[in-house]
Amino acid sequence: MTGMILASECDVANEVICAPAQVNDLFEFDTWFTVGGLNFTKTTFLILLAAVIVVVLVYLGLKDRRLVPSKFNVIIEGLVGFVRDGIARDVIGPEGSKYLPYLLSIFLFILVGNLFEVTPLISFPITSRMAIPAFLSLVTYFIFTIVGFGRNKFRYLIDTVWPKTVPVGMRPLVGLIELVSVFVLRPLTLAVRLFANMMAGHLMLTLLLGSAVIFLAAIPEIGARGLIGVPWLAFGLFIFMFEIVVSILQAYIFTLLSAVYIESSIHFEH
Amino acid sequence: MEGNIEGLSSALALIGYGLGAIGPGIGIGIVAGNAITAMARQPEMQGTIRTTMFLGIAFTEALALIGFVLFFIA
Repeated sequence: MTGMILASECDVANEVICAPAQVNDLFEFDTWFTVGGLNFTKTTFLILLAAVIVVVLVYLGLKDRRLVPSKFNVIIEGLVGFVRDGIARDVIGPEGSKYLPYLLSIFLFILVGNLFEVTPLISFPITSRMAIPAFLSLVTYFIFTIVGFGRNKFRYLIDTVWPKTVPVGMRPLVGLIELVSVFVLRPLTLAVRLFANMMAGHLMLTLLLGSAVIFLAAIPEIGARGLIGVPWLAFGLFIFMFEIVVSILQAYIFTLLSAVYIESSIHFEH
Repeated sequence: MEGNIEGLSSALALIGYGLGAIGPGIGIGIVAGNAITAMARQPEMQGTIRTTMFLGIAFTEALALIGFVLFFIA
């Protein structure tokens, strides 16, 4: 689909790389049908698909606990164990198990959503639409503020604005920085980090591989000039490998930072 | 004239984001480099160091991300 958008606008005889006139063309899809004022698009379908994949994988992986688990069981148990021991208990501490369901859900959902980028026939990461990272980071935001106020009552807000461990003269300045950093920048950067990484990755992949396909396909018309597509293809495949790593890393970092923010609300003293 | 001003504003935003990326670039380099040194010295602490390294990178990256947002706003 994106290839067709590029092809219709690309002037293969004069350009060196095919870029769409509007970047939004790569991220917005036609409406399939409308349900009660909500437009159902490819993105909507992929969100539901990612949720279904996560639920089915975890259900099938942990359904029957045999003495000798199958390969599939081992993979799913490894993922769950990684989030439980590597993130929840490691960062939050013994009571981290309480937050395991949330951390595991967002980790697997973001992982599947990111890996859609490098899945053939889909090749669109749902996390490159700002709505999804923004929503997930708002959920984390509500959890850590509610936990903070629940555990420390209003001391949570007062100690953030007026930190006791800092010399008196510095307190207004540090308090202001802390206030902005905790309640504004944390959710903002959490969402933007995931969004920016996935959007940049999708943009690079589409431009490079799309240009490669268009130039190589146009060799009969434009002759040797079409060989420009070869370096684009090589570079695109390199970025493709890189994006697999980025997808996994961004899912891990989002979950890790959620855990760290929750931990900083529980053990508020330092 | 309108188009020129819009073009200028987006060009300035591009330059601003480029400038804003310098600091976090250096910072992430320092964080990752020191983490590698620490891992080489004490390989048994690898897990803890890696987690802390990602945290450090995440906090350093915040400035670059704010620049990225400003680029869209401008």
